[in-house]
Amino acid sequence: MLYALATIEVFLETGFVFSLIAMGYYITYTILDFPDLTVEGTFLSGAVTYGILVYNNINAWLALIAAFIVGFAFGAVTGVLHVKMNIRPLLCGILVSTALISINLVAVGAGLNGDFTGETASSISFGRRAPTLHNTFPMNLIPAKIENIGVRDLVLFFLIAVLFKLLLDLFLKTKCGLLLRAAGNNDRFVTTLSIDSGKSKILGLAIGNGYAAVSGALYTQISGNVNQSMGIGMVVIGLASLIIGLSLFRKVHFMKPTTKVIFGAIIYQACLTLAQKLGMPSAYNKLIMALLFTLALILSTSLKKKSQGVKK
Amino acid sequence: MLELIDITKIYNPGEINETCLFENFNFKAEDGEFISVVGSNGSGKTSLLNIICGSIPVEKGKILLDGKDITAMPEYKRYGQIGRVYQNPSMGSCPDLTILENMSLADGKGKKYGLGMGVDKKRIDYYKDMLTPLGLGLEDKMNTLVGSLSGGQRQAMSLLMATMTPLRFLILDEHTAALDPKTAETIMELTDMIVKQKKLTAIMVTHNLRYAVEYGTRLVMMHRGNVILDKAGEEKQKATVPDLLTIFNEISIECGN
Repeated sequence: MLYALATIEVFLETGFVFSLIAMGYYITYTILDFPDLTVEGTFLSGAVTYGILVYNNINAWLALIAAFIVGFAFGAVTGVLHVKMNIRPLLCGILVSTALISINLVAVGAGLNGDFTGETASSISFGRRAPTLHNTFPMNLIPAKIENIGVRDLVLFFLIAVLFKLLLDLFLKTKCGLLLRAAGNNDRFVTTLSIDSGKSKILGLAIGNGYAAVSGALYTQISGNVNQSMGIGMVVIGLASLIIGLSLFRKVHFMKPTTKVIFGAIIYQACLTLAQKLGMPSAYNKLIMALLFTLALILSTSLKKKSQGVKK
Repeated sequence: MLELIDITKIYNPGEINETCLFENFNFKAEDGEFISVVGSNGSGKTSLLNIICGSIPVEKGKILLDGKDITAMPEYKRYGQIGRVYQNPSMGSCPDLTILENMSLADGKGKKYGLGMGVDKKRIDYYKDMLTPLGLGLEDKMNTLVGSLSGGQRQAMSLLMATMTPLRFLILDEHTAALDPKTAETIMELTDMIVKQKKLTAIMVTHNLRYAVEYGTRLVMMHRGNVILDKAGEEKQKATVPDLLTIFNEISIECGN
């Protein structure tokens, strides 16, 4: 029983954490139809920013906000490359995430001991007592573990996922958010409103990557460290979560898309955890991730066809 | 007043299929005019509208708005004073947004799209009052996605939305062409009413010669990038569809069609 609960805890935690990338993709991929590869880089940038600040004893909540801002900024770079320089979406993501490989590496050394060669440090580990969110007010008021279940982290990730979901819902209802949805839907219409639709796209990419960066920052809480390979596979995790959530709950109209996306992320993580528990060596992780994503894509197109068939 | 002076427009310059559409083309629209533009395919009607709105660049010449040069002004800025309705009903609204959200967006034109609530609940009744006279029942479907409306309904909305905020010019790009005859008639009457009510300067491209004759204060026929007929005032009132058809046939024979 406890074993099962511990398993559930694992995929709930990762589910909540990765749901943030998926929410970011809800803006960039679903609304703006922009397949954004930048998140592989910005996920790690978020982790690096958060890691450096926490290492330097800055308040962890501030560090989390800083992570968002850094992700936001790099997302905006991708947006500017696409909108102002007319570079294709996939290439913009590749360019920025490639540049970020160096930037993230150098940043760790610079943040830890002021060295800009990128040769002295590449990872940051948190000790048990490091001033992470886990050990910061008000999280330290919650018991860290009940019956060996890491309640505190679970509550932390749950609250942040819900908070960011609500913020996104709220944003999408504002004038600015409405304009963003319009820009993804019909940018000629936005132009006739005397608005440069490019600005909305840049903003959307910035927010999407801000979310990915927060996800990265939170993930350090699970992994206990920041390392340079953290970002690998995040495009697949984010998109798979998004697509699973939106297609499985297609018919559930009372649920907001952002809620569906959180469930999608949890389901995806549950499947991955299950595969591991069934004895798959961890070397197979990425293979399973890709397979599950493929399955989700096939499922979503066949569901789409079915529902369209009914309509006609 | 809107003026096009010595406009030269070349499509695919430098390529093997280079075509010069306009060469030193001049056009003037006085305030308060409702100009119907007719002409065969490829005569430059839609290009004329695209040049006015800045959707396509010109190789040479100037576009003046009240004497001010707007040739270099980006398209989106020009729409500050221009409303535009396209031939395709789906161009003028967002299919994945509701009627209410679409109208709220259109209502905000000219203001900042900031972090205020996108839909102002106090304005809903105002929007409904705008939709009711259409007789399409849209006022009862405020939360319906625009994508599920018919072409006529969407076009009626596009027209209302394009003219919701104060503006000076209305550009109509064959806006009744994709509609059935009855709906087209309704939209045309609505157009005329809005243009008169808001005292707009309107330029309407149409293939429907009857609309061109019945509506508007000035009639322009274009052919191969030139204005070959331009009637205003009393002359325009006397114009008839058979007259226009005769001229049309003449130029067609010239082309060998």
